[in-house]
Amino acid sequence: MSSREKAFLVGDNPFHGISHLSQERSRIRGDTPTSPEYAAKLVAIAVENGANGFMFSVSNTTLSILKILNENGVVEHLDLYGIVPYAYEYVRMASQKGGVPGLAKTVAKEIFFSGNFGAVFSGLNGVLRAKPISLMKAYLAYEISRIKTAAGKNARLNCVLLHQLVTDVCLGFSLDWLFRAYVDFMLDNGIKPGFNTGNFAFLVDKFRGWRMNLEDVIIAAPFNKVGFQMVPSKENCEKALASLPRPNVLAISILAAGYLKPEEAVEYIAGLLNIKGVVVGVSKEKHAYETFRLLRDKLT
Amino acid sequence: MLILQDLFDVGKLFCDVLKLSGDKLRVAVVGFGKMGILHAGILNVLPKVQLVAVCEKSGLIRRFMKNLFRDVSVVDDVGKLSDLGLDAVYVTTPISCHFAVVKSIYNLKVASSVFVEKPLASNYGEARELCDLALKFGDVNMVGYMRRFSVTFRKAKELLDQGVIGKPVSFSAYAYSSDFFGVDKNSKIGTPKVGVLRDLGCHAMDLALWFFGNSKVKKAKIDSLFGKGSEDSAFFEVETECGVRGKFDVSWCVDGYRVPEVGFTVDGCNGVMRVNDDVLELNLNGGEKFRWFRHDLGDGVGFWLGAPEYYREDECFVKSLIDGKNFEPDFFSSAKVDLVIDEIKAKAKNK
Repeated sequence: MSSREKAFLVGDNPFHGISHLSQERSRIRGDTPTSPEYAAKLVAIAVENGANGFMFSVSNTTLSILKILNENGVVEHLDLYGIVPYAYEYVRMASQKGGVPGLAKTVAKEIFFSGNFGAVFSGLNGVLRAKPISLMKAYLAYEISRIKTAAGKNARLNCVLLHQLVTDVCLGFSLDWLFRAYVDFMLDNGIKPGFNTGNFAFLVDKFRGWRMNLEDVIIAAPFNKVGFQMVPSKENCEKALASLPRPNVLAISILAAGYLKPEEAVEYIAGLLNIKGVVVGVSKEKHAYETFRLLRDKLT
Repeated sequence: MLILQDLFDVGKLFCDVLKLSGDKLRVAVVGFGKMGILHAGILNVLPKVQLVAVCEKSGLIRRFMKNLFRDVSVVDDVGKLSDLGLDAVYVTTPISCHFAVVKSIYNLKVASSVFVEKPLASNYGEARELCDLALKFGDVNMVGYMRRFSVTFRKAKELLDQGVIGKPVSFSAYAYSSDFFGVDKNSKIGTPKVGVLRDLGCHAMDLALWFFGNSKVKKAKIDSLFGKGSEDSAFFEVETECGVRGKFDVSWCVDGYRVPEVGFTVDGCNGVMRVNDDVLELNLNGGEKFRWFRHDLGDGVGFWLGAPEYYREDECFVKSLIDGKNFEPDFFSSAKVDLVIDEIKAKAKNK
């Protein structure tokens, strides 16, 4: 496989001040990576050293980063992988707005005032007829337009992934028809449909049971040497990965949230079948330089 | 008469066994907000459970749910769940509704087993009444203090019970979130009326009761940052029956807590323990140091939604239904949290 085909994606967790090892670590790390200018600089350094994509949750922070990457001409060297919705912001909003109904009203207002007529029409149809699929399409159209506006016309929006929380709730409720509608909508819009999941083996099993084409989708899921967040077990996830028809998995949490050294993390990933690429967050210039050099050297 | 009673008991036992040996436990969820969605999603993948019904007040959400869940009954009133032959009900409504909803579940015989999201009630009086109802009509009950199912706090409890740091002398605890950090005082955003103590601080209090036993409030201060009687941060001191002194700091306006976090520092005769949602550290007097992250403590679950502790909590409740035996945190241990919160409020008022 050529290095061009392998995806080396910069992840955005540090840009949101997220550390899955401990929140304390991200507090100690300070605010620097959350500044859009600095984050864009880190992405640019990563690109110079082998990164060819950017995976991000769609938020005001990441849209600002995309805008800067567009202005700097970096965006045209990147495949973009957007994750929607930015669930943690919505959960926080639900707390502030008095629960799910308050959150729904706020999002509906945002879509309405976005000026995206397709999204508004689909959204109104969804609300009036209580149709989840229409509402989902309205929301996706709104988010895609936000990404495209920020990233500019030279950007390549390769894939839009459903956020882990939403994917896994839908898996929990076995909403196969909703997954299908999502895949169809994305393919119709010329964008690869993706799913970020914390239940990789479960998802593969369910999709097979529903006779969904696993070749059509991208899956982002944790893969790391210590089995951190690999549910229900490292062995089950590896087995499910090996059973896929083609490499369409983006490995996330490869460093197990900073628990592993990059060298040992990469060595493990190199031994896995069907990995399309990896996603790694960087919070310092040195990390951006070293990590993507290492990935490029060891995984191509 | 005795024979009749025996026959009745045997019949009831037979029905119970039949019900449990049937395909699945029949469960309903009341309140389909974020916690209702989370528990329903987990319950639906547990092999011995069937999500049968959802009760939700909002008409708009009900209409969507009818189109989302084709095999689940969607109703607007708890009473309408009574004919569904339910084994258990999850109550995930706003806290202010817990009392009325649980009372209806017992009084209308909707189900004899109940799971309530934390805290149990809006005050100790209500919590005690629910405990009485559970004793009278109920089988199994549980309250959603999910941090008891977190690997770091479980390990901390195990080490405290083993006396690894010796007899605890004092502790400090915090419960912080950034939910309302940076919110303008004049904005339309309102903090939950129930206040930060019952919304967030209750987790730290439940863990303290679990770790150190019953306690009395010595000092308390509650601050309102957004006015209109809101309770946004609290500081209080307690002393346990064993003489351990503790300090608590609770706030939902602290920067850097994207997800709520609870933590303890415990000083013992033989060392210090530091524990929060992510990590557990020991510094022993002899100079030995230990540190465990979630990675080191076997944090795997069968299905991951929200956090691994939610899965373990639901799994534990289902096990308790099958075994017909209460596991803590049940209504009775959780009512103590409501008692401490009432004491804090009274102390802060009389300051």
